[in-house]
Amino acid sequence: MNWWLAGAALLILGGLGPCLWGAATGGTGRRMTAQNTATLLLCLVFLLLAQGYERPAYTDLALVVSVLGPAGTLVFVRLFETPSDTPAAARLLSPLVTAATVATVVPLCVATGPGRAMAKLIVIGVLLLAGGAVTSRAVRGG
Amino acid sequence: MSRRFRLCVLALGLLAFAALFTAACAELPPFGGDRHPYGDRAVHAALLRHTANTVSAVNFDQRALDTLGEESILFASVLGTVVLLRQTSDEHRTVPKPSPVPDRTRRYGLLALPVTLLIGLYVVAHGQLSPGGGFQGGVVVATAVHLLYIAVDYRALERVRPLGPYEIADAAGEAAYVLTGAGGLLAGAAYLANVLPYGTFNTLSSGGTVPLLNAAVGVEVAAAVVVLLARFLGQALEIEGDEDRGEGKG
Amino acid sequence: MDDVLGGLALLFVAAAATAAVLNRDPARQALVLSLLGLGLAVLFTVLQAPDVGLSQLAVGSAITPLMILLTVRKVRRIGRGRQAEDDGKGRSR
Repeated sequence: MNWWLAGAALLILGGLGPCLWGAATGGTGRRMTAQNTATLLLCLVFLLLAQGYERPAYTDLALVVSVLGPAGTLVFVRLFETPSDTPAAARLLSPLVTAATVATVVPLCVATGPGRAMAKLIVIGVLLLAGGAVTSRAVRGG
Repeated sequence: MSRRFRLCVLALGLLAFAALFTAACAELPPFGGDRHPYGDRAVHAALLRHTANTVSAVNFDQRALDTLGEESILFASVLGTVVLLRQTSDEHRTVPKPSPVPDRTRRYGLLALPVTLLIGLYVVAHGQLSPGGGFQGGVVVATAVHLLYIAVDYRALERVRPLGPYEIADAAGEAAYVLTGAGGLLAGAAYLANVLPYGTFNTLSSGGTVPLLNAAVGVEVAAAVVVLLARFLGQALEIEGDEDRGEGKG
Repeated sequence: MDDVLGGLALLFVAAAATAAVLNRDPARQALVLSLLGLGLAVLFTVLQAPDVGLSQLAVGSAITPLMILLTVRKVRRIGRGRQAEDDGKGRSR
């Protein structure tokens, strides 16, 4: 097990785990925030797994999540009938996810070196940041 | 059939299943190992046919007939859904009210649509090289189309989604798979045999019929999901039965 | 050490599946179900089956929630229609 995989394990334990708790309990706004955060973190998990297993092809999973994850969150925003009651702490989550994205993508780019693989990483990072910015606002009802 | 007799039949079936299942499990290779007799042979066969992604080689070459079955299951189930969710004579269509979407979301949806579409096509086209293929890519393409409903408006979706062409594409994708298989017969080999030149390993054109079959499945799946969701959307937003038109009657 | 990742992913899937069963409202179940889908995708990838993981992601992240929520909306609309009808009959009597 290398550091990349350790990072992925940490993200699953410390990121996805709490998100599951948030999505399974509490009000609708809290649940949607948790689901949104989970999809964004999942993308980072796939990036770390791809690097950790030394399988560049696995980044395709992250690429797909970076567009389908936000789409899935927008489905919930669109079709949930109850009004959003997002907790105030949700405001702090999106900068946290942004920081995590940068903290994951930049070291990965450094480790990959310039080339097509790095361009793909940057595309994934940009898609994720854009999707995260839009969905976290949409979940808060803005 | 009495309750007792039915329980006996059930017990008999369960016992037979348990016996066969146990016998099968006893022969399985241990969990988590990195070698597997079937895996080794599949990888060998995939490399012989210049297909970098062994899973695609299994799905679309070595066991292509199984995939034809799976594709047909999707085709048939979408057909069944279309029949079940059709508008019946005691139902009528209403025009759904437009629901406001924040500008930011709308802009994101319009920008993400082409990107998602491209990623879907990329996944279909690279099925023989990297994880993915017709099914996964097809679903991504269908999701891209529905970004118009999710992030913009139902009427925007309806404008780019004349159902007729999608229904035809659904059938055409299914037919293309069957006909590509028949190509094997014409070339004097077996049905669905990989008769095309295998190409250079690890390039887009490698794998012989694998990319063609992937494309056929991609078209079928994308069109099938669009048709399927169109029925769901129609029922949820447009079609009203006489019984759920409460205020009008009372 | 690779077993740690597999174990974590399995635990997450088990927890998410249990949570999906314990939530009784279909719309909220759809939310938990989408997390279950994410967990399954990680599990498949950790077990070196990224093709299956990608299928799970493609179907589970947007299409399945959309189908579930549309169905919930339709069922609730029928329910509301019947409710209104019953109320109307009650008043006219």
